[in-house]
Amino acid sequence: MAGHSSAVASHTGDNPFLRVVAALSTLAGWCSAAMIVSAVAITCQMIVVRFVLNRSTVWQTEAVIYLVIAATLIGLPYVQRLRGHVNVDLIPISLAPRPRFVMAILTSLLSIAIVSIMVIYGYEYWHFAWQRGWKSDTVWGVRLWIPYLALPVGFGLLLLQLIADLVAVLLGIDKPFGLEDS
Amino acid sequence: MDPLLLGAIVAIATILVLFSGVSVALGLLIVSAVFLLIFDGARSLELMPELLFGKLDNFALLSIPMFIIMGSSIASTRAGADLYEALERWLTRVPGGLVVSNLGACALFAAMSGSSPATCAAIGKMGIPEMRKRGYPDGVAAGSIAAGGTLGILIPPSVTMIVYGIATETSIGRLFLAGVIPGLMLVGLFMAWSLYSTWKSGNAAQLGAGSYTWAQRFEILPRVLPFLGIILGVLYAMYGGIATPSETAAVGALLCLLIAMIIYRLWNPKDLWVVLRDSTKESVMILFIIAAAGVFSYMLSSLFITQSIAEWIGTLEVNRWVLMGVVNVFLLIAGFFLPPVAVILMAAPILLPIIDTAGFDPIWFAVVLTINMEIGLISPPVGLNLYVINGIAPDISLKTILTGSLPFVACMVLAILLLCLFPSLATWLPDMVMGAAR
Repeated sequence: MAGHSSAVASHTGDNPFLRVVAALSTLAGWCSAAMIVSAVAITCQMIVVRFVLNRSTVWQTEAVIYLVIAATLIGLPYVQRLRGHVNVDLIPISLAPRPRFVMAILTSLLSIAIVSIMVIYGYEYWHFAWQRGWKSDTVWGVRLWIPYLALPVGFGLLLLQLIADLVAVLLGIDKPFGLEDS
Repeated sequence: MDPLLLGAIVAIATILVLFSGVSVALGLLIVSAVFLLIFDGARSLELMPELLFGKLDNFALLSIPMFIIMGSSIASTRAGADLYEALERWLTRVPGGLVVSNLGACALFAAMSGSSPATCAAIGKMGIPEMRKRGYPDGVAAGSIAAGGTLGILIPPSVTMIVYGIATETSIGRLFLAGVIPGLMLVGLFMAWSLYSTWKSGNAAQLGAGSYTWAQRFEILPRVLPFLGIILGVLYAMYGGIATPSETAAVGALLCLLIAMIIYRLWNPKDLWVVLRDSTKESVMILFIIAAAGVFSYMLSSLFITQSIAEWIGTLEVNRWVLMGVVNVFLLIAGFFLPPVAVILMAAPILLPIIDTAGFDPIWFAVVLTINMEIGLISPPVGLNLYVINGIAPDISLKTILTGSLPFVACMVLAILLLCLFPSLATWLPDMVMGAAR
């Protein structure tokens, strides 16, 4: 269920592939946290500029929005690794070990399929913006390929983590849905 | 195909996919992709990343990670224990003061931390053993903390309300204000029930109170006032028209982190990282569901499902209160299985047209919906708070916690009924502070 603050990471054993992916996801998590902190700092700076110095702000609002978007997308693999994406585990919990295993494989494959779609079309969208030199229609005029880059990168890393989770269940390194046998 | 029939198929498919155990956000994307692919063709899949990005492209969303940082920096300190002690010292002369101060501490801490499980753990760890020691029945001790913990999603600043505001494009400022009076009303109802059932259990005579000197009472204040000051300051800045919710939340987050570091000596980089990690984890989870729900609601309206449901409801010859009853039952059931933000994000695009067509106020509805979600937090099979209480007081049986919580569920149902009878309980304060809505 939602809201548990304990972070139980998925197991990697001593499988090199799983460990590399786990390290990548953790790095992504640090980046995501750093971007959220920067968003706090920039917003506070913006308030000082606007309300204390009485000047207008140009780039801050847009920068903060893109930072939060990037923090979300880049943070996806890390949250997956911590099993932080909320799910309804009522049925998996009530299943016997064998069907639970099959169910875990099935949901993994579904997740991998949808995230692959997001990676492919996310890359295409980013590529368009890069090739055609799209810019945001604000005073700041950001080159949009920069924020859009978070789409293929975030979903790409999430895809990697999902594949790693599937491999861990198949190899018996991790339990299906991370549930202990009851 | 008839959009209504299609809507029913989408609903069933969504339930099946979500119950398979796949994560909520990915589940919503999977359902959206399948139906877009079948009814709009393969090209519509290309739009998904763009839609997802577009949904996140909103300055108001910044307030979510900011309020979460505020809450988790408070939750990581001893602030909960201090708050509890402060109220205990000040309310010791009130009859039944202990349960009153426990519920008060729950309400305040829940409002500051915005997290139900954190509140149950922080206040319950001290409060439950103390209440039992002084002769309060186990059921009251456990139930009052479980129920008190749920108040965080109703009393501002509440992340649940922000998510509702974003999903339905209603004013977050109004939503916050709308939660104040119903929140206080719930605290009152909880207190009334606790006192009554303690008195009925016949132990009332031995409910001795500790006694404290005025020095002890004042000594604890410096540790709790700063956080309260920040919360009040944030709310003042929002309603004084000084800054937007996102901006004030950012300042609040920074100040709460600083106070946690200075007063509670949260200097160790490892401890700071735990606060940041938990905030990042929860923010990313919520923001991803928001983005995925945006794609989901695009799918619903692109297949004309949303519009047809609203039209269909308009032609139904049912009493609007019957409709509200059905909506409530639906929300209650959804709340048993899913966290509040997920329910709101999935239900909002479908329910809001219904609510609008039937002539209900979306601000008032937010409060009813939130109380429904609170019920879900203390109802079996997945009421999170029950398990948190079970974890911190393992010698109280789950059954006692459950039966102890049921009267508090009844209080919440009563609160919903009162809100239906007197809608101004929710709408009066926002209308008074911010002017009439329409």
